[in-house]
Amino acid sequence: MPQLLSAKEQSLFRTVVRNYEDKQYKKGIKAADQILKKNPKHGDTLAMKALIMNSQGKTDEAFALGKVALQCDMKSHVCWHVYGLLYRAVKNFEEAIKAYKFALRLEPESQQIQRDLALLQVQMRDYQGYLASRRSMLTARPSIRQNWTALAVAHHLNGDLTEAERVLTSYEETLKNPPSKTDFENSEAVMYKNSLIAEQGEYQKALDHLESAGKHNLDRLAVLELRATYLAKLGKSEDAVQAYRALIDRNSEYKTYYDSLIEVMGISKDNQAKKAVYGEYAEKYPRCDAARRLPLDFLEGDEFRGAADQYLHRMLDKGVPSTFANLKNLYSDRPKKEVISSLVQQYIDGGKSEANEEPKRSGDTSKGASSAFYFLAQHYNYYLSRELDKAMDYIDKAIELEPQSVDFHLTKARIWKNYGDAPKASEIMEYARTLDTRDRHINTKAAKYQLRANDGVAALKTMGMFTRAETVGGPLVDLHDMQCVWFLTEDGQSYARQGKWGLALKRFNSIYNIFDVWQEDQFDFHSFSLRKGQIRAYVDMMRWEDQLREHPFYTRAALSAVDVYLKIHDRPLLNGANGISEVNGEDAAERKRVAKKARKDAQKAEREAEAKKNEPNKASKDGDNDAKKKDDDPDGVKLAATTEPMKDAMKFVTPLLQFSPKSIDAQTAGFEVYIRRKKYVLALKCLLAASALDSHNSKVHQQIVSFKLALDRDSESLAPKTAEVIKSEFKLLPALLSPKDSPSIEKDIASVLQLPTITFGAAQEALELLNSWKSGEVVTFKTSAEKKWPKAKIFA
Amino acid sequence: MDIRLLKPSDIPHVQHVNITNLPENYFMKYYLYHALCWPQLSYVAVDVSRPQKTPYDYPRIVGYVLAKMEEDPPDGVQHGHITSLSVMRTHRRLGIAEKLMRQSQQAMVETFGAQYVSLHVRVSNNAALRLYRDTLGFKNEKIEAKYYADGEDAHSMKLDLGFIREQITDQQEEDGDEGEPIGEMGKKGEEVNEDSRVEKKRKVRVGRGLGVGDLVEKNESQKA
Repeated sequence: MPQLLSAKEQSLFRTVVRNYEDKQYKKGIKAADQILKKNPKHGDTLAMKALIMNSQGKTDEAFALGKVALQCDMKSHVCWHVYGLLYRAVKNFEEAIKAYKFALRLEPESQQIQRDLALLQVQMRDYQGYLASRRSMLTARPSIRQNWTALAVAHHLNGDLTEAERVLTSYEETLKNPPSKTDFENSEAVMYKNSLIAEQGEYQKALDHLESAGKHNLDRLAVLELRATYLAKLGKSEDAVQAYRALIDRNSEYKTYYDSLIEVMGISKDNQAKKAVYGEYAEKYPRCDAARRLPLDFLEGDEFRGAADQYLHRMLDKGVPSTFANLKNLYSDRPKKEVISSLVQQYIDGGKSEANEEPKRSGDTSKGASSAFYFLAQHYNYYLSRELDKAMDYIDKAIELEPQSVDFHLTKARIWKNYGDAPKASEIMEYARTLDTRDRHINTKAAKYQLRANDGVAALKTMGMFTRAETVGGPLVDLHDMQCVWFLTEDGQSYARQGKWGLALKRFNSIYNIFDVWQEDQFDFHSFSLRKGQIRAYVDMMRWEDQLREHPFYTRAALSAVDVYLKIHDRPLLNGANGISEVNGEDAAERKRVAKKARKDAQKAEREAEAKKNEPNKASKDGDNDAKKKDDDPDGVKLAATTEPMKDAMKFVTPLLQFSPKSIDAQTAGFEVYIRRKKYVLALKCLLAASALDSHNSKVHQQIVSFKLALDRDSESLAPKTAEVIKSEFKLLPALLSPKDSPSIEKDIASVLQLPTITFGAAQEALELLNSWKSGEVVTFKTSAEKKWPKAKIFA
Repeated sequence: MDIRLLKPSDIPHVQHVNITNLPENYFMKYYLYHALCWPQLSYVAVDVSRPQKTPYDYPRIVGYVLAKMEEDPPDGVQHGHITSLSVMRTHRRLGIAEKLMRQSQQAMVETFGAQYVSLHVRVSNNAALRLYRDTLGFKNEKIEAKYYADGEDAHSMKLDLGFIREQITDQQEEDGDEGEPIGEMGKKGEEVNEDSRVEKKRKVRVGRGLGVGDLVEKNESQKA
């Protein structure tokens, strides 16, 4: 039964609601208490009070009160709605959806509840539910275009393109007069409909629609691009050629346009014709790079030499610092690689060396000779043409001509990095930074190299020169706030190298959390985009968010985290309770110091939070924003103290395997975790997938052996069915190696050093592997690696 | 080097370029806000000659322009605004910044009927000043004192986009089009909704945060 209030209290209740909306929380609580004094069991008021408390950051109390409210009035949609809102606030969307559904059952006419429910459904990708919600919203308010578009989007996301298109058409048919040409919502709806038609493969229909309805569309570029695509798909070559030419005239720096033009001209195999097309645009657009660079991809022999020479002259004369970066993908072609370096050598010998009259800009790469030396330094530093001593020689020559060049010193630092001397590399990079202290790019590189040299304190100080000074908590907090993924990743990896597993895990978890935030970020756009009428961009975003964690930023951090968890599992800490391993000989005193500092920091943070609360003017000005939870594990001590590292690792592994199944690193990481958890079928699944991706991968071979060993050790505990499955599947692997073979595998691994393209990092990995097997090859490997990288620190 | 429209999936790398190059940084949602409200206006430069390393390589962004329309222009004139523009140090001198700007300006006029485009630049940033003033034709409007978080002043600059409007009109006449004036477009209904609050918050001027939090839907749950 609805609980009735007197007229006066009803008006008080309305005040509570208004106070809540205006974020006047204290007033709201006061008014609610006034009602509750007389009606202590008034459910709606209790619920409103809970909602306000939640906005004040008192989540637990809010939930408790929300439950009381429901107990008082189970039949109130307000109570259920609030209950849902509380769940939504803590991101428990599933429970929130349930609560909203209850609320909606009690109050089927409420647009507000329906809308809140719909937003959660689409966020959770419950497209069936979303479709139902959108249908009922359209029925309630058919005069609003947004509601039609939204229903079409729901069909589209649900995979029903035809129905989506039909809904849009139905709305169009209700229009008595054509919308104005400057009606943006209409303009976008037309393009959205067009994309739906094309997505169904009906290119002729899409083309007709575009040429009629889309003729004056406000999104000119989309019309031009789509028209070109449709014409090409329909084989209307002549028109398609014109269409692509129009696009190149609009933007001559887009490879896809040239590729498509060549395709529709039917000259894909005719190098001369292709060269002529590019030549025409190079002449037409003197400042265009693409028309000059792209032919180098397909030209061969003397023609390549001529074109490359022209290109190099142009770039080196101008002193374009990215010249090498622009050309390096040609290096997979050996003759081209050699031609390029000899051309640059000729350029130097040709006596261009003197011509450098222009005043130098601070720290920029300069022109002519120095830029040619710079090119060759990068050439000999590149892994496909690496001769580090030569690289060093050339960069020193370049620096001699331009001692103040930031770019040259940056490359010099890179060469040291490839020598394997991280401290020296960092030293040079730091010097480069001092040459232009106002440039954040070089500042970033300096910090990165400091991290590579395991000097996190210096790195943070460097970063602090550009982070915001006002941020409470200093640069590290600012870098978290600004989602600076690269720094957090490198910082974590640096801690991992030092065996500081707690802090390493802390950073990798921060990245994990950033991805959570990125996923939540889409929430507001479910309604916002519809209001703005930008549908195609919204659908694009939905598709991207669906695959969010396939991003290499995630993969990199997740693999690193799994690695740390494996180390924690394999080598449990002596006293279990801290995040620091023994690898660097850090002793008990050091651990105590860290633990003490962690405690102190926590206390300090608590005091600060307390102080903030007591500032009456600042409190809850921003609703829930300033109720930031304090971190009770700033150094990751708790993370590293886990007793179930393999269970914790699953948090990172699951998305890796779900979103990056084609990554061999993800599969091998999955294997390592599953085998330790004795999940043999799942381990085998990873192993089979990894082997299918690259059966020659040394890690795969190693894992085949460990799988066999683990099975032999553990055969009794396997359920007969499982054993059978494993037996039949395991056979699929190539050449099953027996443990007897291990010396030959070790030799195999050790021989990677002979590969011409071996990188320093790969050698390091191989060494780690041999070490972990306590292999007899270790000593020999180290000796030859040391010969190969005499300046590296780690093989000594 | 490709110059092309920014897509939502580019955003993590765009954010990376921004925080590598500039002190004014934003969280992802603010980039999304640009990409979803004015998807025609933001462009990226992509290094397409990078050899692929994994099946999940994302396009390597080396420069970007993040642009928007002013939502409630104080002067009542439709105009664009450059929120942020940067190019990696390793990819300078290729004219990337200029090419990005020209694409964005074109779309501001075509799609949203912008009359002009405005931006802020540090008074000490000579390279950027040269680009805006000498290459692109921006004019100094005024100096905004202590515009940046570190206390530096900003040049407030403007470029009249009339020349692009004329080009479009000429083009349409050539095409035998009736050439409807584009000047009025983009003026949507005057409804003032939550969106506009984003703009009010912009006055904070710190460049980050920029009130994206205010995109959050108002909780109107209790309109009983």
